[in-house]
Amino acid sequence: MVTMNDFKGSVKADWCPGCGNYAQLTAIPMALAQLGIKPENTVIVSGIGCSSNMPEYVKAYGFHGIHGRSLPVASAIKWSNPELTVIAYGGDGDGYNEGTQHFYHSARRNPDITYIVSDNQIFGLTTGQASPTSMLGMKTKTTPDGNIEPPINPLSMALSAGATFVAREFSGDVKHMVETIRRAISHKGFAIVDVFSPCVTYNKDNTFDFFRKRVYHLEDEKHDTSDQMAAFKKAAEWGDRIPIGIFYENNDPTYESRDEVLQTPLIKQPVKKLEESDLEEFL
Amino acid sequence: MDQNEVIIRVGGAAGDGVQSAGLIIGKVFSRNGLHVQTYNYYQSIIRGGQSWYQIRASHNRVKSQGDGLDILIALNKDAIERHTNPKINEGGASPLDGIAVYDTALGDFTKYEKIKYCGLPLGEIAQKYSRNTLLKNTVAIGAVFGYLSLDFETLAGVIRDQFGGKGEIAELNVKAAKEGYDTFVTKYGKSSKALNPEEKRFYLISGGETAGMGAVRAGLKAYFGYPMTPASSIIHYLAAHSRKFDVFVKITEDEISAINMAIGANYAGIRAMTGSSGGGFALMTEAVGMAAEMEIPLVVYEAQRAGPSTGLPTKTEQGDLLQIIGASQGDFPKAVFSPRNVEEVYYMAGEALNLAEKYQMPVFLMVDLYLAEHYETVEKFDFTPDIVRPPFAKGDEKDYRRYAYTETGVSMRALPGTPNLMHNEDSDEHDEKGDVVSDAVTDPEIRRKIMEKRMKKLETYIKELPPTPSYLMEDAEYAVVQWGSTQGAVEEAVDILRSKGLKVGVIEVNRPFPVNQDIRDLVRGKKKVIFVENNYTGQLRRLISSEIGVTGDIITKYDGESFYPGALATQIEEKIRK
Repeated sequence: MVTMNDFKGSVKADWCPGCGNYAQLTAIPMALAQLGIKPENTVIVSGIGCSSNMPEYVKAYGFHGIHGRSLPVASAIKWSNPELTVIAYGGDGDGYNEGTQHFYHSARRNPDITYIVSDNQIFGLTTGQASPTSMLGMKTKTTPDGNIEPPINPLSMALSAGATFVAREFSGDVKHMVETIRRAISHKGFAIVDVFSPCVTYNKDNTFDFFRKRVYHLEDEKHDTSDQMAAFKKAAEWGDRIPIGIFYENNDPTYESRDEVLQTPLIKQPVKKLEESDLEEFL
Repeated sequence: MDQNEVIIRVGGAAGDGVQSAGLIIGKVFSRNGLHVQTYNYYQSIIRGGQSWYQIRASHNRVKSQGDGLDILIALNKDAIERHTNPKINEGGASPLDGIAVYDTALGDFTKYEKIKYCGLPLGEIAQKYSRNTLLKNTVAIGAVFGYLSLDFETLAGVIRDQFGGKGEIAELNVKAAKEGYDTFVTKYGKSSKALNPEEKRFYLISGGETAGMGAVRAGLKAYFGYPMTPASSIIHYLAAHSRKFDVFVKITEDEISAINMAIGANYAGIRAMTGSSGGGFALMTEAVGMAAEMEIPLVVYEAQRAGPSTGLPTKTEQGDLLQIIGASQGDFPKAVFSPRNVEEVYYMAGEALNLAEKYQMPVFLMVDLYLAEHYETVEKFDFTPDIVRPPFAKGDEKDYRRYAYTETGVSMRALPGTPNLMHNEDSDEHDEKGDVVSDAVTDPEIRRKIMEKRMKKLETYIKELPPTPSYLMEDAEYAVVQWGSTQGAVEEAVDILRSKGLKVGVIEVNRPFPVNQDIRDLVRGKKKVIFVENNYTGQLRRLISSEIGVTGDIITKYDGESFYPGALATQIEEKIRK
């Protein structure tokens, strides 16, 4: 029996009190434990930013890499050893700025990994600059007169890339988040979960209150998760009502199921012994 | 000119089949047991422009594309004007001093006294067999082997292989070649060259291919890359043999992804590589430091071309050494290999994979366009698997510390999936356990110790560095220092100087970093030390001089072409006599 406690790391998280990331620090181990996945078979890969410190705090195999690059690392770990459960975790700056190309291409490529983005719509660790998901007009250290760049919509971007599992959650609704993360991890393919994870220090616009007033559960409105067009419409919804939950899901084949060499896990493959016949083409 | 040797050049436009004609000619020689070196002069263009392919074949071992030109196959008028004109010297290539084979339909062109013009109705002959205009190349190749009176059957065999066995197209080509062979002999007679089949066969292979093959021998399981000349030959080779060798080959969205994937795969416990040319490698540099900080093995294949920036995409240079040495912020252990020839690339690819895993650090396998793409003969390869893997932690270790301080600086890895040993590998500075020491309180003491632990790996490696190879250094009064692919041209230049009585030897740097102290001993007492480099600033000289204080005179070449032995010998002699 795997319990949440098995994932409890020896290092105490040092995010600001009230930070949205604490919710994910609860939800991810809870989802893993519910699925019976052992810490030793879990790899959490991250980039750089407040949220990317996650692997330091979870007892599992952690890979705390460089800014924006968690997805290529995570994909290759999965391709090398498919018995591992691989979760990439990071912020909106990490994933939707420097990591954009990896995000888009991972979505179309469909490796069997889970990508959870702690989206606080601001750069936190670098002390409050506008991020790719900062709202129009938002005043930050780098946008003193208000942000003039419209934000990226990570969900419609993932949908357009052909992502096979697209979801959004909110740090103020842990119970709902656990269920979605559980399904994201179980999903065979690339699963993106964008999490509204308020930055209590630098984002005074998109607060817990801001989201509490607006979010609603997609399943309550009988949203059809197999309807990609409906998912696009829901992804575009922003204002007084903001949907969370699973937007879209399908069973398209994973990258690894299409690649012939990966049919046997790379880590288990014997070494190829070269022979004279391998050189015949050069004669 | 040596009667045991011949230099043939095929000239034409891109799309004329210059390279495939060149390779057919090369293979005919290598199958006959002759030593071959080829040289590919081409442009960044798919159709048109001016390209040529040179084949040097000999009964004796040849080490470079060589000086002189005995036979020219001109596939267009520009080619015949260009390669016969004594005033044109493309990067050192000799103008024709022998016979020119061309289509009589080419029309008028400038003729020179010393050249024997052997026009044949190549197109007309070809038309008898097929409407495909490239068939005239086959007629010309046939003509050349008629002139050299090398047995026709070997040529027929190579043509059949090239055109897919015994099908109709292959047979048409064989017939066209035979008619070229016979027509030439009837019309112009035979050469006085004494080239005869030997009782052996050689492999004709490029450095990009031996890099791939050598890596597979050392247990390579994945290669991640992004297309960039001249680093593509290894990808093409591995991709074509992916199923056969069970190597996963992935072309990624960019080079940054490629190197991060390679690091992820190594972290998971398999042997993976990435590679690019200088521009693509520049994008990879941040991740190089990550591999070093997290102590994850990493091999990067870097095939240099002439820079800066896009530079000369299809031209060779050795201009990336200092980029490699300086890649990524901070100080960390690393090793750089610069194999000197196609055969050495094979063994060094394996050595790089073993070394990277032994010391959990980045190792660079540096080649250049010339080495990655040109073909040369190799007699045999050692197939014995070359895999030295340090043990991984199993899960029952007490008080396991991923980055434990040890005497060698190397600590045992625990792969994800190992029970009980969960830990974090971090690009932030960390302690022995992998816990970050930069978040709440930076611990200067731990930082100092973990830095020393990582750097200790380099100190340990330096103690086991193999000696720097050399050529004719025993009695040398003058030392030439070269690195990487210039070995062949430099050795042949030294042979020329030796024949003139000058006692010159060569120090051959195939592991430029960490710099081997033995270079100091090798240059001791020499009247002059002369560096030879295919770049502008003498990057190896700068490195060696800054690391161990050895310096000297320098000969550089940065026109996009490799050195030619004759011209280089003259330059070295000038430096000696100065």
